[in-house]
Amino acid sequence: MDKTTHFGYKQVAESEKAAKVAEVFHSVAAQYDIMNDLMSAGLHRLWKRFAVAQAGLRPGMRVLDVAGGTADLTRLFLKEVGETGTVLLTDINFSMLREGRDRMLNEGRIPPTVQCDGERLPFPDNYFDCVSVAFGLRNMTHKDQALAEMNRVLKPGGRLLVLEFSKVWKPLEPAYDLYSFKLLPLMGKLVAKDADSYQYLAESIRMHPGQEELKTMMEAAGFAKVSYHNLTAGVVALHKGFKV
Amino acid sequence: MIAEALIERSLNHLLRQSPGAAEALVRHAGRSVRFDLTLAQVDFRIADDGCFSEAAVDTPDAVIRPTPALVARLPFFGREALRQADYSGDPALLATLDRVFRQLDWDVEADLAPLVGDIAAHRLHALGRDALAGLAHAAAALGHNAGEYVVEEAELMARAIDVARFNHDVDALADDVARLDARLHLLEARPPEQDAQPRTA
Repeated sequence: MDKTTHFGYKQVAESEKAAKVAEVFHSVAAQYDIMNDLMSAGLHRLWKRFAVAQAGLRPGMRVLDVAGGTADLTRLFLKEVGETGTVLLTDINFSMLREGRDRMLNEGRIPPTVQCDGERLPFPDNYFDCVSVAFGLRNMTHKDQALAEMNRVLKPGGRLLVLEFSKVWKPLEPAYDLYSFKLLPLMGKLVAKDADSYQYLAESIRMHPGQEELKTMMEAAGFAKVSYHNLTAGVVALHKGFKV
Repeated sequence: MIAEALIERSLNHLLRQSPGAAEALVRHAGRSVRFDLTLAQVDFRIADDGCFSEAAVDTPDAVIRPTPALVARLPFFGREALRQADYSGDPALLATLDRVFRQLDWDVEADLAPLVGDIAAHRLHALGRDALAGLAHAAAALGHNAGEYVVEEAELMARAIDVARFNHDVDALADDVARLDARLHLLEARPPEQDAQPRTA
């Protein structure tokens, strides 16, 4: 019998989760950026800039943006690595990837774009200087496997950045819950015409490992010197680890 | 996390701005350097391009400890202040690091230009440079004056308690003089015949 995993608060067969997540992102892809700005009051841009500032990139470096979707991070990474560097934009979801690729094309840039599963990366060992996954790990069925894959494709000394929703500061929890479970689905319904996807977003955030738990998972996947930094009182946390 | 990224970014930026600096470090690629900031330790490995890359390091090849004297002198003496840091570890790597750090040169004007334009960047840089030079001059003059005061003038200066005592003595003397003056006036005002009579016990 197929193992089960969580899809928001629901339990589904592991083999079904990817398809269900894909359904969510197919549905929201077109309105994804507007909804991000709306939901976070633009803060997601600062979170992403902070993450890129921690990447320690220099011209000529090779970066993998896992679950890069609409290419927010890819665009920032490209500025850091310059003409001599490479940034690979990847996502498992074609609708999201198409949004990102088209956005880059409209800006006159053609970065390599690959549709692939973060749990089975089609890249050689020890290949990238930096791997990032922003708001993507939460949706992966086997997070430990995905982290191990990211470790595999990183060069020794390379760094992994995981930007993800996390456990908010305790006193803010009631207000955050109210916002997540009442306002988010309403915004999703009004703007993206899809309340269910944003209900899933709120639920999946609650099911995602907290700061310390994710740190332990990264260490178990082989990363060293793992640290994290809470952003906006822990609404989001940036984890950083190094391949040794 | 923020401090590491800030140091890494700043150092690499300076390395890129200083011709030959990164190239000098290339032959030490793969070696590790720890900046021991007392409250935190920041570890870097020298990358293939000679830049610093934050890394997980158990035993660093070189350790650099900035001292309070370095921090105090850095704004005024720049690279010269680097002599105040403590260095330990591999001598060859330390010698290169010392040479590279001395040749680091922050081109402030080049960094400001994209933000405010060339002319404003030039003027802001000149203004900042003059202000720092003025501050350094003021600090040096203050130090010189303080030293001179301690060595030469302190003994010549009256203490507050001495001044108070002197003022008190002057007041007492003034009172005595006033009393004497009043007595003389009284004596001068007496009739002469009274003075001629002999005094009796």
